Amino acid sequence: MPAFGFPLLVWLMAAVAAAAVAGRALRWQWGRPARVDWWAGLRAVPRRYLVDVHHVVARDSQAARMHMLAAGGLLAGSGLAALGVIPPLGASRLWWAVVALAFAVMLAGAFLVGARRFPVRPARLSGGRFQLLPVLLLGYGLGGFCLAAGAAAGLPAGRAVLAVTAGCGLALAWFTGKGPMRHAAAGTLHLAAHPRPARFAGQRDVALQPVDLNAERLGVETPADFAWNRLLGFDACVQCGRCETACPAFAAGQPLNPKRLIQDLVAALEPPGPAPAYAGSPYPNARPVAGRGGRHAPIIGAGAMIHPDTLWSCTTCRACVAECPMMIEHVDAVIDLRRHQTLMLGAVPEKAAARLDDLRDTDEANGHGLAARADFAAGLDVPVLAPGGRADVLLWLGEGAYDLRYGRTLRALVRLLRAAGVDFAILGAAEKDCGDIARRLGDEATFARLARENVATLAGVGFSRILTADPHALNSLRNDYPAFGGRYEVWHHTAFLDALVAEGRLAVGALSGQTVTYHDPCYLGRYNGEVEAPRRLLDALGLARTEMARSGARALCCGGGGGAPLSDVAGDRRIPDLRMEQARATGAALLAVACPGCTAMLEGVTGARPEVRDVAELVLAAWEAGQGAPAKRAALELQA
Amino acid sequence: MIANADALLKPLTLKGLTIRNRVMSTSHAPGYGKEGKPQERYQLYHEEKAKGGIGLTMFGGSSSVALDSPAAPWNQVSVADDSVIPFFQAFSDRIHRHGAKLMIQLTHMGRRTKWDTENWFPTVSSSPRREPASRTIPKELEPEEIARIIADFAAAARRCREGGLDGCEVSAAHGHLIDQFWSPSVNQRTDGYGGSLANRMRFGREVLEAMRRAAGDDYVIGIRMSGDEMIADGLSHEDCVEIAATYARDGLVDFVNVLGGQARDDMAHAISLPNMSFPVAPFLHLPSAIKREVDVPVFHAQRVTDLATAARAVADGHVDMVAMTRAHIADPHLVQKLIEGRDDDIRQCVGAGYCIDRIYVGGDALCIQNAATGREATMPHVIPKADVRRRVVIVGAGPGGLEAARVCAERGHSVVLFEKNAAAGGQINLAAKAGWREALSGIPRWLAGQVTRLGVDLRLGVEASEAAILAEQPDVVIIATGGKPSHGHAKGAERALTTADVLSGAVELSGTVLLFDEMGQHNAASTAEQLARRGCLVEFVTADRYVAQEVGTTNQPIHYRELYKLGVVFSPNLDLIEIYPEGNRLVAALRNTFTDAEEERLVDHVVVEYGTLPVDGVYHALKAGSVNAGQIDLGAIVRGEPQPYDLSQGFALYRVGDALAGRNIHAAIYDALRLCKDL
Repeated sequence: MPAFGFPLLVWLMAAVAAAAVAGRALRWQWGRPARVDWWAGLRAVPRRYLVDVHHVVARDSQAARMHMLAAGGLLAGSGLAALGVIPPLGASRLWWAVVALAFAVMLAGAFLVGARRFPVRPARLSGGRFQLLPVLLLGYGLGGFCLAAGAAAGLPAGRAVLAVTAGCGLALAWFTGKGPMRHAAAGTLHLAAHPRPARFAGQRDVALQPVDLNAERLGVETPADFAWNRLLGFDACVQCGRCETACPAFAAGQPLNPKRLIQDLVAALEPPGPAPAYAGSPYPNARPVAGRGGRHAPIIGAGAMIHPDTLWSCTTCRACVAECPMMIEHVDAVIDLRRHQTLMLGAVPEKAAARLDDLRDTDEANGHGLAARADFAAGLDVPVLAPGGRADVLLWLGEGAYDLRYGRTLRALVRLLRAAGVDFAILGAAEKDCGDIARRLGDEATFARLARENVATLAGVGFSRILTADPHALNSLRNDYPAFGGRYEVWHHTAFLDALVAEGRLAVGALSGQTVTYHDPCYLGRYNGEVEAPRRLLDALGLARTEMARSGARALCCGGGGGAPLSDVAGDRRIPDLRMEQARATGAALLAVACPGCTAMLEGVTGARPEVRDVAELVLAAWEAGQGAPAKRAALELQA
Repeated sequence: MIANADALLKPLTLKGLTIRNRVMSTSHAPGYGKEGKPQERYQLYHEEKAKGGIGLTMFGGSSSVALDSPAAPWNQVSVADDSVIPFFQAFSDRIHRHGAKLMIQLTHMGRRTKWDTENWFPTVSSSPRREPASRTIPKELEPEEIARIIADFAAAARRCREGGLDGCEVSAAHGHLIDQFWSPSVNQRTDGYGGSLANRMRFGREVLEAMRRAAGDDYVIGIRMSGDEMIADGLSHEDCVEIAATYARDGLVDFVNVLGGQARDDMAHAISLPNMSFPVAPFLHLPSAIKREVDVPVFHAQRVTDLATAARAVADGHVDMVAMTRAHIADPHLVQKLIEGRDDDIRQCVGAGYCIDRIYVGGDALCIQNAATGREATMPHVIPKADVRRRVVIVGAGPGGLEAARVCAERGHSVVLFEKNAAAGGQINLAAKAGWREALSGIPRWLAGQVTRLGVDLRLGVEASEAAILAEQPDVVIIATGGKPSHGHAKGAERALTTADVLSGAVELSGTVLLFDEMGQHNAASTAEQLARRGCLVEFVTADRYVAQEVGTTNQPIHYRELYKLGVVFSPNLDLIEIYPEGNRLVAALRNTFTDAEEERLVDHVVVEYGTLPVDGVYHALKAGSVNAGQIDLGAIVRGEPQPYDLSQGFALYRVGDALAGRNIHAAIYDALRLCKDL
């Protein structure tokens, strides 16, 4: 009979875990309904887990190995042991030998879990109950192995072994509701019921969801305002801290830590009372909050769970999202919370409020006249598309066009388009702000209006594709506008110029002898996956390219996104300084950029640093070199 | 980045013509015209500004529309017949390629020209009143002649349009024919063209109406005019405002280009072209007042030498466009540098007036500090990199040495620059010590800034010996050691002090001073002012016909004004023949250059200005060891070719500036640029 004790224990553990998860499920139910295709979702779980989750986890191969062994061993060993209630299997010594093998695997994984946390726990990993995890896993794994091996050898199970196994196993099961094991159940369900099912299988889904502006409550004020599967997503967090490592605001000492943010959203579900223990890194320079939660309690506020400074520190760079192995959508949560602050309470940081006022009044974020957007191009005779007009390429100028510095980039681009014989035009005074900044600051009403008006304008002119040098405009036009009826082929200038060079339409000379490092704009690299074209282009210019500590889809933000420069939440350092430090470390003379925001942020860094040049400016210099023109002084300066 | 740069970089649209920014260059007469046409040199000069980002460049100051307004005295442009049109077409194509706009100034100069040149027609005006500056007594215009000249203006406007120019302005400033009708100081007529202001405005009105008919209503036509003649019997500020307001209201002009003053005599000329003794933008209040009364754009030029002042003028609403004409002569790329955030690299006009002063004695306009201006066909504004990197040692950080170092460093060479004094600048540091000449210090300040930025090894306070130079293992050595003041050739000359002794502060003089000048340049005039300001009783003696004879027409009146105010006695036409002591004082013996009569002065000090002699000790020490015996191949310089010496055999040795022979700042800088651009 001893062989039946173990299977029964596993069944008991399953029952405890089910009860714990059911408890959590009641909480998830507090959320607003969300349409979930359960059948497709559940069917996709193995693939989402093995491909998409693994893609993230495997960036840390040690962690991947650890998780494969521990989780695989635990599930296989426990599952097989549970089948031991079937008499022929329970009586089979061979069967138990297989079970023992599975637990041996789990044991190896449990050792790796321990090795990761002892003797010194890395700062990004949470302590508390998480620090108990290796002990429980070791106890359950060792117990399970002994029990199974004993059964295989035909030996009776010792009471002590059974007790240890039961103790650790049941604790693990209980932790499925309120502890480190919650990620297992909630994470799996989250994969099935994910609010962005389109992001899996190598696809990209970064568009923000429009809001029904006629609804009584806009955005998220209380936990109950989140869709239920968002709440489920927060529970999936395993507190691995990868987001915290990636977060620019955290690194700069601003009061934001994405991990803590998600844990605060989890804690906000709890009724008022002592806050559940959080044993990870705090918000840097944390602003004091009351820490009160509750189903219908506001989340944001000094008297609530999360301080507004935390909310407004986010640059929406999506580094946390891209690093999260549990596929949690932090930025969606931030935007949902901001929408309520902005649309319902008008509680926007001061400078951001002025920007939004200007946008509402003038359709432009700084109150400039719309006709002045093309001032930078005076003397270049750029054709303006009148209603009914047509050009192959519509050049979308964006907010940066008003900036003296970025005008230089746009002029370079215009000259290159001319040189390549591209049939292009601008909208002139008909181009309104794309609305990106309004949307990221939570002003969905202004964004929606601008989007609709721009879509209407674009419908009145003919073009085959849109070209822009502003990744934020690109993202809005490409990803956010389809929900407003605008579907366009949108090109970033780096990809466009890359294509022109590749097709031989733009003959570039060499800028030899110079080293360059490229800073990926978040809204181009992470949001839109374009990391190769700018690099190909720089390589084609004959520049020696080196990479920063973080690059490509994992690049560090410049600090300029999501309205963060407007909210201007104080930290210990400035994000662009951190990024420039990485650029300096490469020893490159040139820092190539591809976004007006990045240009402004990085060029604002004081002290000795690489020269900041937009890719278009470098291509123009190379094109001029190819024309035999005397090398430009600016280029020469770099060698001096 | 300067404040309000965005105001300066905002396009301006007038009558459908969009000018890309608010910076322009007014029409002037650089003396580059050839056979009455704007040919290659003239076009390249303006093209450089177009490349450099300027919004509007206007050429052809005082371009004449009629046969009795000769273009010859200024080497200017004649628009009096159709043969100029192809030149206009080539010119406008050239400028438009770079996104800039091009306009011309049209005028009939009336009495303000010469009768003894070109066609030898008498000068004409509203009334036969002599103009001091041109020294002509004009013929009074008859109605038939007035009609002819109006038709001439109209035909010229048509030629501008056919030539593809973006517009034109008529000159009614500096005392040209139109303002000779306006100004009661000239116009004494009793017919419909004289008397009331409305009558005096009639001629200009008829000119503009005829031009409109000929060129079309959509063609941009403006006017250049004074905002106040600043003379008792001339046009008052109120008159000028009324003229501008009336012409603008009646749709006769599309812009008003306002300046202050007039130019009928020496002092008025100097005031209307303010030099470094004036504050920046001294007459900005005049266009500002007119802007309040007209609804067409207002332009303005007059010593706006820096972009910060220009930006303020536009941002504060005083003017719509700022003309930085001399500023562009110093640096034709100043707008581009502003746009590229390199405003620290702008070579700022110091207001020396070198460019203008040359043209009023029949020369061509050249910049005291930028030797490439006006020489675009041969001299680069942007120095290209050399194929081979050389080691260049330069001795002396005066203007010649600094320019040599700048150009060599831009070429990519490794440059060591020795300067025995604690500061760079050479003799400019002396010149800048004198009164209102301080702004000259801007020349070495910019050069030293560039040299530092370009990574030149500048060794201040280090006198270069032969050994120290050779220790650098140079490929090229450039001697720019400048000159030392000459004491001249009079008997007892060793008893005299030099102007450099005074300006440097080496001596502090009091009592009576006889200042003898053989050069006629700024040096003696500045020294006289310096001495008189410190209480000396100064007699300014020169063998020339008048003192400061070689100082140009925008500067000489300022010297005269200051020296007269200080009670300096002018004694021209006297040569210094001997200095001998009498007690603890000196006797200066002088001889009249026309009568040979001799006279003596008993004074406390004699100060002399005889120019400089080369400082050439290091040169002679190195000469024998150099591959070229210190000689510059003049043919190669003129042809724009590298010096033909084989540097594998040793170093080449050159001299530039006063180390060759005492001349001036421009000569030193030009010596350096033309040599080093091909090294």
